Amino acid sequence: MAKPDIRHDRATRRLWPALALPGTFWLIALFLVPFYAVMAVAFSGSINIFGEPNPAWNPLDWQFATFRQVFTDSVTGPYQEVWIRTGIYSVCALLICTAVGYPVAYYTARLAGKRRGLVLALILAPWWINYITRMLAWVNLLQDDGYVNKVIGIFGFAPVSWLSGSSFTVVMALAYGYLPYFIIPLFASLDRIDPRLLEASRDLGMSPVRTFLRVTLPLSKMGLITALVITALPMAGDYYTNTIVSGSPKTNMVGNQIELFLLQGPLKNYGAALVLLLSLVLMFFMAYYLILTQRAARDAQ
Amino acid sequence: MTRTDVATRVEAESPPAKRRVPPWRNPWRRPYVLWTITWLYILWSLVPVLIAVQFSFNDGRSRSTWQGFSTQWYCCAEGSIGEDPSLLLALKNSLILGAATVLVATPLGVALAMGLTRWRSRSSRVANGIALVPLVTPEIVLGSALYLVMVNLYQFVPLGRPAMLLGHVTFSVSYVLVIVRSRLLSIGGDYEEAARDLGASPMQAIRTVLIPLLMPSIFASAMIVFATSLDDFVVSQFLFGDASNITVPIKLYNAVRASPTPALNALATLLLVGSFLALILAFVGLRTRRRGRGTRSALEDLADYG
Amino acid sequence: MSFDPADPAFRRRRPGPRLSRRDVLRGGLWLGVGIGAAPILSACGGSGTSVEGGKAPYPLARPDKPVTLPLKDSNPPIDDGLDPETGGTFQILNYDQYMAPGVMKDFGDQHGVQVQVTPYSNYDEMLAKIRTPGESFDLVFPGPSVLSKMVYTELIQPMNHSYVPNLKNVWPEFQDPWYDREARYTVPYTIYGTGVFYRADRVTSIPDNGYDLMWDEAYAGKVYLLDDLQEAIGMSLLRNGISTDINTSNAADVQEATDSLIDLIDLVNVKTDVSAYSEVPEGTATIHQCWSGDPIAGQYYLPKGETTDVLAYWRPDDISEYVIGSDNIAIPKSASKPVLSHLMINDLLDNQIGLRNFGWNGYQPPLTKLSAQYLIDQGYIPENLMNAVVRREDLDSGLTFYETEPSTEALWRQNWARFKAGG
Repeated sequence: MAKPDIRHDRATRRLWPALALPGTFWLIALFLVPFYAVMAVAFSGSINIFGEPNPAWNPLDWQFATFRQVFTDSVTGPYQEVWIRTGIYSVCALLICTAVGYPVAYYTARLAGKRRGLVLALILAPWWINYITRMLAWVNLLQDDGYVNKVIGIFGFAPVSWLSGSSFTVVMALAYGYLPYFIIPLFASLDRIDPRLLEASRDLGMSPVRTFLRVTLPLSKMGLITALVITALPMAGDYYTNTIVSGSPKTNMVGNQIELFLLQGPLKNYGAALVLLLSLVLMFFMAYYLILTQRAARDAQ
Repeated sequence: MTRTDVATRVEAESPPAKRRVPPWRNPWRRPYVLWTITWLYILWSLVPVLIAVQFSFNDGRSRSTWQGFSTQWYCCAEGSIGEDPSLLLALKNSLILGAATVLVATPLGVALAMGLTRWRSRSSRVANGIALVPLVTPEIVLGSALYLVMVNLYQFVPLGRPAMLLGHVTFSVSYVLVIVRSRLLSIGGDYEEAARDLGASPMQAIRTVLIPLLMPSIFASAMIVFATSLDDFVVSQFLFGDASNITVPIKLYNAVRASPTPALNALATLLLVGSFLALILAFVGLRTRRRGRGTRSALEDLADYG
Repeated sequence: MSFDPADPAFRRRRPGPRLSRRDVLRGGLWLGVGIGAAPILSACGGSGTSVEGGKAPYPLARPDKPVTLPLKDSNPPIDDGLDPETGGTFQILNYDQYMAPGVMKDFGDQHGVQVQVTPYSNYDEMLAKIRTPGESFDLVFPGPSVLSKMVYTELIQPMNHSYVPNLKNVWPEFQDPWYDREARYTVPYTIYGTGVFYRADRVTSIPDNGYDLMWDEAYAGKVYLLDDLQEAIGMSLLRNGISTDINTSNAADVQEATDSLIDLIDLVNVKTDVSAYSEVPEGTATIHQCWSGDPIAGQYYLPKGETTDVLAYWRPDDISEYVIGSDNIAIPKSASKPVLSHLMINDLLDNQIGLRNFGWNGYQPPLTKLSAQYLIDQGYIPENLMNAVVRREDLDSGLTFYETEPSTEALWRQNWARFKAGG
């Protein structure tokens, strides 16, 4: 074996960081610094003539009164309902996603046979359809004179007003919207399960149900967790789904409050404080996911 | 007792046991339930969109009652795509922004993937972590942060196309990184080492060996970046500035809350057609590239080079 | 595998990360850069002047204390006799659907520009957009409650009246209004009152106080408030008899009014927007707090087969409880086509074009020729919507929203955020 060429190695060693640097600097400038700007605005100590906060860039100037008020309001004040509602909607939507998404992913990954390409294409298609378009489609259907009311009218039920602040509509819309993003990582991990393991368990006489519980489910656990995390995090910050299918303050989620503060008024420090609070809450899940992926990447290496 | 006697007696006493396994215990049965669930899901998922496309051809203002077929909302009723220039402008903005994002994010992400995979040090692990966080950040957090930083700090970047491009690239780079990196890990370092042993410089090795091997995943990530950018709403809404930069999702969102007409459905249909066309073009492009390369493997390429 | 420590191959296989001196130095370097960056960021980042004690640093305009907005050297009007600009985009910052598309298109064709509208729902959104660094708008439509602020912060430029001879068409009260003496910065665009737009075919009986319709559970799910914090909280103050001062700075009053609005959320599932003109005719809303132009414009949004009889407008009988407002046209300082801005303003004050605009958006321009009687005679206003017309007498005794101290504005905004949070 030839001796490693020292000059070779040094050139190579410089190359990789050089390649990674543009991307890293981009992310620092446009991801980390913006996050610092959020903190600077949230902890601002003074407002201008428009009632907007002056960002406090120097950490020594940071005032925590706004953040403290937002925190108290979230725990015991008017925002408590909003947080709880966001949590409940997310959990319900995720349950629906799992109940529908897991069977679909399983079928596509394991049992679709000849039709697998077609089924996969049809399942991936919503990813190419604009999210707002898909919500718009449901708004059309859920109008008072829309098809949904016509269909339930056939069964003798009175028309329901689906679009006026109904929590059911919002949860179903969230599930509908995020299912495609949920199914894909799940599909990927189910796909990777060695079919011979399943055949072996069948040959050993396990019923399909027990095969599923004892073999498939544990092997797909990582995929399920990834899917849940990847879906739960954006869903917690979702606000446009609620605005489109409901529009009533009764179903407001945390994202709606943030949008209200940041885009429709000058109280941007309250908005920034809410963003920080949301990030802190989700950071637990974010960190968990990152640790898992790092571990998986290291295992792959 | 002879053997045949025993055999006869066994046969007489225990007829061939055709035990009927109940369906729920039969491991080899057809998966009826799952099949039903999957197809019901596909219908539930796609039919509303098809109905929305149908209503874009509605003869009348309603988006929920079918009043007859007409192409008036494409041209030329009042407020239709032909008459209202803001609708086509939104479509144009979406497509241009998507294309620009692909052009910027893909090279950036590929370089990042290559650099992070091969560079072994603590800094690379930190950079790696940073690069993955946008994937799990809720869009509203990213949108808010970008908005606040653009308005308060990066004031030389005007809101609108420049800011939107920066925002879109920021969350797209992570997608490229994840997709390309998994492929890089599976390729391994052998081909490059072989190239370098044959005398290529590191850059040459990357250009002639690594990139062609990565082409499928580069294409895949480009398509995903395009789709995500077209689909993006939150970052665009925070950063668009004024009406000349509105993209289709923003237009649809604003109009749904104001006074919607089937012209919106028409706009959504056009966007749908546009993105699927892009998808088909990308597939065709990938196919012809592959065919051009034929069945040459990377090692054969290396042999040519040597 | 060699175990010789001098062999580079062995070094590369050393297990686990160890904190070396280089790492510590590097970490310290980054920390220092971070700390050092903060003052640099504060120098180049935006930092405005701070407002002490919540008082406005300029006089607040009142009908009994009119204000002449100052002219500043740093914000001069454009010169006389300039040629109109041509080519490019003419960007208007306005409410949605507030100017006739035909009027905009004709103006664009005449001067060779593309006219676009960037919409907002309320003044807070408008201020956020117009203040975005790098943005340029050519026309904006502020109301008196934000005018002084915009002049003080040089967001709008004074007008050069030599380009706007049609100002003489305007009601005399508006040629020299209390919020802008000598009409230095603005001309009026529309006047309107605030009332309730409802479906006559669905509302069984009208209570004495029409605002009570919004608190009526019979219409649950179809009740809407205006997405404007002054209008909504002001209406609650009046309806509940809490105060007749709709610009009050009394924290308890504002809180009580907001609590009453919050009750609406559970009571009737109330929603907020500014689209009464389309939602009531289309049936999405049965009761919608509105501005008086909405019912008149609503005629044109009726589905096929429905007559204007189904539309109705309620306003307080007592003129002293009728909230009157006006929107004005102003030219942003950032306008890239200020001459065209003046020309469009002149067009909008023309009787013919003003009438055409009214015919589309339903809001009366305060032009002398287009009196309430004239509009009724011309057939623009159906019988059952005659109370939606604003007459000159209404101006004198009506209530109106003023610009308040920043501390009062903060109070109102915080309460509004409470309402929007769902209570």
